[in-house]
Amino acid sequence: MNRAIGLLLAAVVLTGCQEKLTAPADCPALCPGGQPQVYDEVFTAIAGADSSYTGYVQPHQAASLLVSNGLQGFEELSLVRFLARADSVSLRDTLRSYTIDSVAVSLTVVARDTNVDGLQLLLYRVAPTFDSASTYVDVAPAFVPESLIAAAAVPDSLNAGVVRTVFQGADLTRLQIAAADSGKLALGVRIAAPTATGARLSALAAGTGPLFTTYVTLNVPDTGTARLRTLSLSPAFNTYVSEVPQVTDPTLLAVGGAPSSRTLLRFELPARIRDSATIVRATLELTPVAPVTGLPTDPARLQARALLSDVGAKSPASPTVGSRGELPPPVDTLEVGTTAVTLEAVRLVELWLGSTSRPTALVLSLLPEASSFSRLVFYSTLAADPAVRPRLRLSYLLSFPFETP
Amino acid sequence: MSRVLLVLLLALVPGVLRAQSSQFGVRGLGFPGRALAVRSQGSGGGFGLFDAESSQNPAALASVVALTSVFTATQGFRQVENPACTASIRSTRFPQLMVGGPIRALPAAVGFSFSNYTSRDFTLATSETIDPRGVPLAVNDTFSSRGGLNDFRLAGSYRLGDRWAVGAGFHIISGSNRLTSVRIFEDPGYLSSRQRSELSFAGVGFSLGLTRQFGPDFALSAMARSDGHVNVDRDSTRVGTVDLPYAFGLGVKLRPAATLEVAGQSLFRTWSGANSDLLAMGGTGAQNTFEVAVGAEYTADPRRPYRRPIRLGARYATLPFPLVPGQQGQEFGVSAGTGARFAQQRAGIDLALEHVWRSEGPYSDNGFLISLGVSVRP
Repeated sequence: MNRAIGLLLAAVVLTGCQEKLTAPADCPALCPGGQPQVYDEVFTAIAGADSSYTGYVQPHQAASLLVSNGLQGFEELSLVRFLARADSVSLRDTLRSYTIDSVAVSLTVVARDTNVDGLQLLLYRVAPTFDSASTYVDVAPAFVPESLIAAAAVPDSLNAGVVRTVFQGADLTRLQIAAADSGKLALGVRIAAPTATGARLSALAAGTGPLFTTYVTLNVPDTGTARLRTLSLSPAFNTYVSEVPQVTDPTLLAVGGAPSSRTLLRFELPARIRDSATIVRATLELTPVAPVTGLPTDPARLQARALLSDVGAKSPASPTVGSRGELPPPVDTLEVGTTAVTLEAVRLVELWLGSTSRPTALVLSLLPEASSFSRLVFYSTLAADPAVRPRLRLSYLLSFPFETP
Repeated sequence: MSRVLLVLLLALVPGVLRAQSSQFGVRGLGFPGRALAVRSQGSGGGFGLFDAESSQNPAALASVVALTSVFTATQGFRQVENPACTASIRSTRFPQLMVGGPIRALPAAVGFSFSNYTSRDFTLATSETIDPRGVPLAVNDTFSSRGGLNDFRLAGSYRLGDRWAVGAGFHIISGSNRLTSVRIFEDPGYLSSRQRSELSFAGVGFSLGLTRQFGPDFALSAMARSDGHVNVDRDSTRVGTVDLPYAFGLGVKLRPAATLEVAGQSLFRTWSGANSDLLAMGGTGAQNTFEVAVGAEYTADPRRPYRRPIRLGARYATLPFPLVPGQQGQEFGVSAGTGARFAQQRAGIDLALEHVWRSEGPYSDNGFLISLGVSVRP
């Protein structure tokens, strides 16, 4: 009996071990070392060491094609040249000619102003001779009523998705490809709406660009389904052009646009912060020269990435997505009309701390790059008013003065 | 072989040795341990200087008649009060381990023990509102410490005739405090801050003791101990030394009846020697401490003294490390306990329940400590 009681007690005590050590503290008596102190300090970017560089992503490399009808006071047109369509199809080791039954052109709307109804995408036949150097002036003359082949209505209920236009019967003549074009169909896209607006269409670089589909019947003495074929062609090239070329002011900092611009900011943090501070909040504060413009309901995103080494415009930066244990770079969504930009960048600034050889610099870019109607222009360190210069506001704790003991 | 295995097993345990934590262990080196086995705890500590299973007096080892190992676990349930708030605390500690036994052919015994010297196990929570960017911001801070100082004692005792026993001990005092300061902001825009530091301690000490039996019903015991100082390293860098106290103890034991033993003792420690060192390190200093304990053990059957004895005791002590400079904390406890031996007295358990009250000005602790001691005599 005694043994049983003893074993039971031992089991109760040893298996019932629980810890709950947290107690309220009354400072300073119960706060050895005191309490953590949060310091707040503003660091302006190094004067004259902030720069904008342009040309990272060209319009024809962008993930989206832009079309607008005066959204920012000017028009933007998109151009698509599809891969060449063969004039025969191989069937049973023999090339066969075919008869076109119908043709479909599909465009994928990535984003639009969902507050605007009655949107139309106007398709124009254009010469397939445009390239990355083509300008609005070069291609705009082709956007005339005579070359309009379709007006594809964008359903008001469609916020994003495919807009498909089918041509058959007599309409097929509008998409007849001249022999001189070597089977290549080229289309221009313009947007029409009751008010000034714009839309982003998926582009070749996104993998879901426009699609040119031809439904044919092979000219063979066979009544089987093998006679029916579908020829789907993706773009060989696509781009967009703007009525007003973007202008770069070297005294300002530009981010976004097409070709896309990026801004490089350099800061100098004192050793007491780099060596021993714990950053709890870091806010990059930028002042736009004018309120942010762009497509309502489709805000652009400002991203800051830490530089891995500082070699100017081609400085390698941390990945756009988190990798090797690092979190994704900070991103801030910019609504149209924003007059002050604050980007929370504590995870980025943390990379500058400790015994690292990383430069205390960051690069700003706009997402999606060269695929947004927004283009941000900020005051630089050359601004006369210090309050509008780029700056980093840090909230940090220095090493806690642990009592010894 | 089994003895060797047992010793090896018990030798692995010291890494978790701790005493009960308390808000009175926040300052200085922490809350002092008592180096008592459960048997002595049950009687208030009054038998500490006579108890071979405790580590207060090396001469007490002389009463060990067989290889003995003792392991102690303590579960604490306390209510903490201070001007900030009140809270309930639970803690589990393993404050005492002892292995000892007689030397054949000699009237001597040797043993080693791990005891808790001081404990700094606590987590303190505070809340406040700060204004770092001109906007009120609520923050929650926790400051926690885990660890303390352990006392590894190698001791021997020698019996001089039937009445005298003398003993000496060599102490290695070591340990660490793993300190963590955490600040959490209620605004998710702020990252939480977590800072750590580790203090490590190392020192040595010596102790001497004697017991004198005056007939079968009366005995005296005395001890003196010098712990020198501990070196203090913070994150592997030497930051200073802290003088540890001299300790002096005197105990008396009576047997007024065949079924009753009564004992009392007092201990004095010169913790004030650490005062200047602790003040220099930013602490609140240290003060000498005095402890007095009395206890009794009643055995229903004198021929079977280990058959559920009833132990009672009380003690009073002052605490070495003040929360507020100039004040001194104190502790009062009453305890009760019992025990049993089984397996032909080769194994046993002891239980003790102690109610403690600690206070220093507006700061107070009170609660229960339940201790279980397991002893094995292979």
